[in-house]
Amino acid sequence: MRRSLLILFAVVVASAALAFAAYRLAGHLCATHLAHSTDDLGWLRMEFRLGDAEMARIRDLHQGYLPKCQEFCDLIAAKKREVAAILGTETNLTTTVEQKLSEVASLRAQCQAAMLRHFVEVSRVMPPEQGKRYLAEMQRLTLGSHEQIEHRMSGDAPPAHGHH
Amino acid sequence: MKTDNPEPNEARLRDLLRSARPAPPLPPRFQEGVWRRIENAEATAEAPTSLAWLDRLVERLLRPRFALAGITALLMVSGVAGVLSGTDTAKQAAQARYLSAVAPNTVR
Repeated sequence: MRRSLLILFAVVVASAALAFAAYRLAGHLCATHLAHSTDDLGWLRMEFRLGDAEMARIRDLHQGYLPKCQEFCDLIAAKKREVAAILGTETNLTTTVEQKLSEVASLRAQCQAAMLRHFVEVSRVMPPEQGKRYLAEMQRLTLGSHEQIEHRMSGDAPPAHGHH
Repeated sequence: MKTDNPEPNEARLRDLLRSARPAPPLPPRFQEGVWRRIENAEATAEAPTSLAWLDRLVERLLRPRFALAGITALLMVSGVAGVLSGTDTAKQAAQARYLSAVAPNTVR
């Protein structure tokens, strides 16, 4: 009986080790194979099962959107540098700083609007159901973090770490 | 020589033998001791059979046919689980790549 117990224990340990090794190896190979693509749009094809024609149309939209996005990013970065420079020289929150912060916020809003317009355009290229799903997912991923913060601040959502 | 009624003779013979070799008296609680020994012997004999299923299981597991089938099933299930997990990981990485292209952190 003791011998049987030892054998059973060895079988269980060996099986667990084998299963773990197979799991990790298969996962690694699969992730490496799928992540091999350097295409920024690979996720769209993978997640929304798009055909070549749809992907070509989305690629055009994507290429057209990138310079606009880059332009906004440069403008926001420049404006933030201005705010940082003013804050570095002044100790009080002057109207100039407030003005610059408003400009940053305005640029961010314009950038977000352009981004959402792009998402809507991309969603229209997809089949209706997939387009709807894409739009909802992109809104969740891009605007969702702000909404979570606002909900937390306004107390709509239960506080994560108790009441402050 | 054949007798007509052998039973009385046999009975007399038994009595004679018994009287010639008297049996010593039984020790106190002899009968109880006998039963205890019988019970102990039975308990010892039963003990291994209560875990006999373990021996049978191990014996079955070590048969080449069962071992091979078990290993194959284990590898297949683990492999499929690994592929699903790897696909999920790759999707998340691809999603992060797309997001960083279309929605940089400054505007999120």
